[in-house]
Amino acid sequence: MIEVKSITKTYGKKHNAFLALDDVSFSIPEGASVAILGKSGSGKSTLMHAMSGLDRPELGEIIIDGKDILKLKTKQIDNFRAHQMSFIFQSFFVQANESCYDNVSLPLEIAGVPIGQRRRKIEAALEAVELIDKKKSRARDLSGGQRQRLAIARAIVNDPKILFADEPTGNLDSVTGGVVEDLLFRYNKDRGVTLIIVTHDADLANKCDMQINIKDGKIESITGQKGANS
Amino acid sequence: MKTRDIVVRAGRSLRQAKARTLLTSLAISVGAFTVTLALAAGAGGQAYTNSLIKNNGDANNLAVLAKIDTGESDAPKEYGTASESKKQGILTDKDIEKIKKVDGVTDITPEYNINAAYMMRSEGSKKYEAPLSIKTDRTAIPLTAGSLENNMVPVGGVIVPEDYLEALGFTSAGDAIGKTIIVHIEKPSMMIGGKSTESQDKALKIAAVDKKSTTVLRYQTALRISAEDGKAIYEYQSSNAPGNNQYYTVNARVAEGKDVKAVQSAIESAGYSVFSLQDIQETLFQFINIVQWGAAGFGFLAILASIFGIINTQYISVLERTQQIGLMKALGARRKDVGRLFRYEAAWVGFLGGAIGTILAVATSLFNPAITKSLNLEEGTKLLQFDPITSIVLIAGLMFVAVMAGYFPARKAAKLDPIEALRTE
Repeated sequence: MIEVKSITKTYGKKHNAFLALDDVSFSIPEGASVAILGKSGSGKSTLMHAMSGLDRPELGEIIIDGKDILKLKTKQIDNFRAHQMSFIFQSFFVQANESCYDNVSLPLEIAGVPIGQRRRKIEAALEAVELIDKKKSRARDLSGGQRQRLAIARAIVNDPKILFADEPTGNLDSVTGGVVEDLLFRYNKDRGVTLIIVTHDADLANKCDMQINIKDGKIESITGQKGANS
Repeated sequence: MKTRDIVVRAGRSLRQAKARTLLTSLAISVGAFTVTLALAAGAGGQAYTNSLIKNNGDANNLAVLAKIDTGESDAPKEYGTASESKKQGILTDKDIEKIKKVDGVTDITPEYNINAAYMMRSEGSKKYEAPLSIKTDRTAIPLTAGSLENNMVPVGGVIVPEDYLEALGFTSAGDAIGKTIIVHIEKPSMMIGGKSTESQDKALKIAAVDKKSTTVLRYQTALRISAEDGKAIYEYQSSNAPGNNQYYTVNARVAEGKDVKAVQSAIESAGYSVFSLQDIQETLFQFINIVQWGAAGFGFLAILASIFGIINTQYISVLERTQQIGLMKALGARRKDVGRLFRYEAAWVGFLGGAIGTILAVATSLFNPAITKSLNLEEGTKLLQFDPITSIVLIAGLMFVAVMAGYFPARKAAKLDPIEALRTE
């Protein structure tokens, strides 16, 4: 369960202050797939950053599993992100010079997973995105779709509870985009992982259990909330 | 993050920027090379000086002379005011007794003035001039054959110079060891210029054969005998001569483990002039140290210059890898981890630079024989002597310096805002 309560975030100083998030509140049930939908500049990315503890809003609470993450110390938030959350980005951010194996290994290293347990987890993650045969290839030799699949493997390797995806198909054609979407939704359903997709793509948003529409830093509408609870 | 993971990641990042890593390391290696070489040359120089000193004197030996100056003024004293022995600068048996009592003095041997008329292989064989010298201290002597205990001549023994062997009828140095030669000693006449009336033959057993060496600064071609035999000859030759038992110099031996300096000043305060090899040794070492650290100083300057190279490289590296840093932080990497990643990279660069410099410097020791030859030093002398511990300390020091140099870039990396770093344009 993720509860967002009266989040307010301002950028800039007094005269040209810009209200990126204005009193945003909603809640997401555990294991739901949620789309945060909005145009660019609407504040949807800021919302994602706030929910993942990367950014600190001035006001409000973000309660995950009963804990307000905005009240945690930096070290605890880092720890929280390392163990509970994961990210998928529009431009993949895979390390081109590293092998697929090393790319996927990074979150495990950050989370301090013992060396002996890593191999099994990494191989399972690569298996899940069907990149196990590319284990030793460098990421730069992969196609765009393969890179995003690699990013998914990296995101799921440490069994996160919440998976943030920022325009995951934005840089992909519709076919490869479809493959990536399938992977994400399958993972969401099979593992009961909360999937939060930030997008401006209404078609992708409609595939989610719940849609949160953001406009000018405010919630315009929330749809499918009850359906997600069932 | 575990240290091992950070070290591995740091190493991997450096491999991906091979040219840059290598160039930065090479800048450090210049300094490391210079410092290592300077220290090696210093160590070699010290070792060479040590052997030089060992072959020219005995560190535990103090040469004691009568003190000429009395009082505060260096101006000459009025005639008749100084004591008899001091005036003449001569030491007597009384002085010897006095010096013997100084704590730390074990042995005391006056410099006897003796001479031999001639030497010969055996009765009836050809006679040769024979300069006779007494080996009073434990100065090391380069030997061609035979061996000496504590660098002392055994009683009844003799060290023969290599150059005498042929005349004495020996085929080789090894052949001479253990054989005897005869030295003819004459007792001078009571009358000055008078013919000697009494003489004796002394058979001496050859204990060793010595040779000229470039490390011996003042080599005397002479028969060397023990202090005991020297004393016997002296007593025989001077028994009816005036000035019996008067010496210009006596050699006092400092007991092993005693502080030579302390004993020296004790004898000095008893009213004598004392010279020790340590005085010379200290001066020489001081000179070597100045040269050594002067040269090393240039190396340290080079290291200082290379520090800016490290800082520059690391800043560029941080800029290039903004996204990687952002990603790591988004995935929960702590500031500390990111900072460590960059500091370890700097440490790797320092290690590489140190290792390259050290290896190159050690490789120059291949030139040791050439250096020895061109400087005309004793064969087998190694003027460049490397100490693995010094090298390890140097490399560790360079790693530390590199980490310090990488401090600001690493801090910049650690402080990067992940949201900014991951913003897609």
